[in-house]
Amino acid sequence: MQETGDVSVFAIRFFKEAFKPRYEISEFIRQCFVIGYKSLPLIGLTGFIMGLVLTMQLRPSLIEYGVESQLPAMVGIAIVREIGPVITALIFAGKIGSSIGAELGSMKVTEQIDAMEVSGTNPFKYLVVTRVLAATLMLPVLVMLGDAISLFGSYLGVNIRGVTSFHLFYTQVFDNLAFGDVLPAFIKSFFFGFAVGIIGCYKGYYSAKGTEGVGQSANSAVVVSSIVIFVIDLVVVQITDLLNLN
Amino acid sequence: MKEQVLIQAEKKKESSGDVLVVKHLYKSFGSNKVLNDFNLTLVNGENLVVLGKSGSGKSVLIKCIIGLLMPDSGVIELFGRNITDLDHEELDKVRAKVGFLFQSNALYDSMTVRQNLEFPLRRHWMHVTQQEVDNLVQEALEDVGLAHTINMMPAELSGGMRKRIALARTLILKPEIILYDEPTTGLDPVTGKEIIELIMTIQKKYRSSSLIISHDMTCVRLAADRIVVLINGRCYAEGAYDELKRSVDPGIKQFFE
Amino acid sequence: MKLGMFVLSGLLFLIVMLYMIGKNRNIFGPAFILKAQFENVQGLVPGNNVRFSGIQIGTVKKIHIINDTLIEVVMLVDDKMEKIIRNDAIVSIGSDGLMGNKVINISPGRSAAPFVTKEEILNTRKALNTDDMLLTLSQTNHDISVVAAQLKIAVQRVNNSTALWTMLNDETLPKNLRASAANVQLATAHAAIVAEDLHAIVYAVKSGKGSLGSLLADTSFAIALQNAVEKIKGVGDKADELALSLNSVISGVQHDINTGKGPVNALFKDSSMVTRISNSLDNIQRGTDAFSQNMEALKHNILFRGYFRKLEKQKNRENRQSIVAH
Repeated sequence: MQETGDVSVFAIRFFKEAFKPRYEISEFIRQCFVIGYKSLPLIGLTGFIMGLVLTMQLRPSLIEYGVESQLPAMVGIAIVREIGPVITALIFAGKIGSSIGAELGSMKVTEQIDAMEVSGTNPFKYLVVTRVLAATLMLPVLVMLGDAISLFGSYLGVNIRGVTSFHLFYTQVFDNLAFGDVLPAFIKSFFFGFAVGIIGCYKGYYSAKGTEGVGQSANSAVVVSSIVIFVIDLVVVQITDLLNLN
Repeated sequence: MKEQVLIQAEKKKESSGDVLVVKHLYKSFGSNKVLNDFNLTLVNGENLVVLGKSGSGKSVLIKCIIGLLMPDSGVIELFGRNITDLDHEELDKVRAKVGFLFQSNALYDSMTVRQNLEFPLRRHWMHVTQQEVDNLVQEALEDVGLAHTINMMPAELSGGMRKRIALARTLILKPEIILYDEPTTGLDPVTGKEIIELIMTIQKKYRSSSLIISHDMTCVRLAADRIVVLINGRCYAEGAYDELKRSVDPGIKQFFE
Repeated sequence: MKLGMFVLSGLLFLIVMLYMIGKNRNIFGPAFILKAQFENVQGLVPGNNVRFSGIQIGTVKKIHIINDTLIEVVMLVDDKMEKIIRNDAIVSIGSDGLMGNKVINISPGRSAAPFVTKEEILNTRKALNTDDMLLTLSQTNHDISVVAAQLKIAVQRVNNSTALWTMLNDETLPKNLRASAANVQLATAHAAIVAEDLHAIVYAVKSGKGSLGSLLADTSFAIALQNAVEKIKGVGDKADELALSLNSVISGVQHDINTGKGPVNALFKDSSMVTRISNSLDNIQRGTDAFSQNMEALKHNILFRGYFRKLEKQKNRENRQSIVAH
């Protein structure tokens, strides 16, 4: 409970500092590269496997109901609406949340954050704002690419048994998607990214002294941000339901 | 012309007077009173050692001086300006003239030695050319005798080398005051001694003032022009090494045994 | 550079995805409005697809209630269709697969009527209710098989010459025959209704629409269904004919009896008629068998499986109850 309040204060500080000059542009771009681009292989691989496996798992039950032809549509909706954003965000939390938590934690412990402060740099801006922004903006991009790769995996999954042309596959997928499927998923991935970034930074920034503290911050950054991802997902579902975006 | 005179006058005042004055400093964490009416003066050009046991509040003191911690009350004057009254921008300007050597070196792990040294340069001095930066980095590394490590990562260096790189990073802005937070801690006695000697050499070269925080008597003996003993958050005693060594006060004696 | 490529490709996929969806939703192309009014829209919602002879041509834009019995559906239709849809086209509501979304089907009219104009209100057709249809179908089948069985017994008796005298002396025979005739007539009426409904389904199946449409992608089933319809129709016609013949037989027999010519005489008077009756009955039997087979096929179709299972369960329950009662 206490922690929720602290994270909120931390997030408010983020918004205050993020819009004040000076802007750490080059560090932000470097973080985007590290957080976004470097996560792509992992996200791509998991996404690909998810798409493939999901397709192969769904096929028998669809055959049972005689609607095998709906396979691409079902997989497409499942990936775009839910599995793409959430799985990507969880992998992202595991990779980026822990690395931010550990990095800032060790910087805190070895006084690097203090050193920055002394060197005329606002460490909050330089370390936290850049990372949180990068995570917030890069996760949606990763989700989109993850979706694309997942769908490709699913296409291969469809073709393991039986033959479906790529054209038919994507026509089926997109025919059954609506803006109400894509946009909430896209928008919620910003929140996922923000949550991973801000929690990772919070845990690292207020890491306990010693190497144990660093490990702890990395660990709890992943655990907490994973839980928060599910909570956000729940809230977003409720909101889209209320707004009748389905 | 007038400006120059003013600057010279200021320099003169500084060179003759006190660069750092700490008055009635209080700082507590919860119920633990770490600094309790602490007073200290650093005269230009001297090497002052603050001697104290672990946990006596030495590190808190030095972090208050650089503005990393906010004192509960009291005055900290750097070059005649009370840093507790300064806003962030002005504080940064003052900090540019103060070097700080961290106990754990605080080298940025994700950067090379060169980037580590460039970082404070680019941060404090916005308008420097690449050529100037390169020259300054080269000079600072030569001062500590590690010019060949310029493209290495901190993790590749030994403890003593890291301490020297940290020192080089502290020196690169040519500070007027250098604050040393236990410079020999974590080093073997031989390397520790080398570092102290290096500190002395550098001080002579740049004619800066030093405030050294330590409990290592070798360091104290070699470096101190004057010693302040910090016990129970107060300035317990003050004097030169030899004076204090002759003291019969048990509080002081414990350090020299 | 790499980062730029990375971000760009991510955004590109988003845009492609939105564009593909938008294209389906007719947001990016020029479109015009068509309207239709229904009593019941069966859960149609804005955004549902509009199809013309099975081709995606637009989406439902708005649905509003005009009064307590009339609901207006506003459709956004591709501009190109303005020169294709004629104003006698029929609008109906169907569903995209058994569990799928509702869709609007626009079927072309038959005549060369003028093309639709913008905002025109098109004619509608009430959606077919599968459940009702199946119920009637089953009832008809049952009726026909009863009639056929009765007739068969009757014919066997006629054919069995040793029993002929007894049979002819039996005064109840004409009554039975008359009752059979009445049953046949009833069955015929049922069959006619079913045939009509089935015709509509088959038509819808053929054009790939209607509630059965998407699920019954299997065209062989559609053909089987049509055959069934044809056969039912045939049965119906035959039964009609038969009923007439029976009527005349009965009246002949009665007349003969009444005029004292004797029933035997009367029966043998026109041997060709007996043959005809027999043929008709065989035909009816064949028709009923074929129909039963079709019903069997229907039972095995996944669509109706649930329905027939329910029926079977009910039957079992009744059987059990009757056994208990005994």
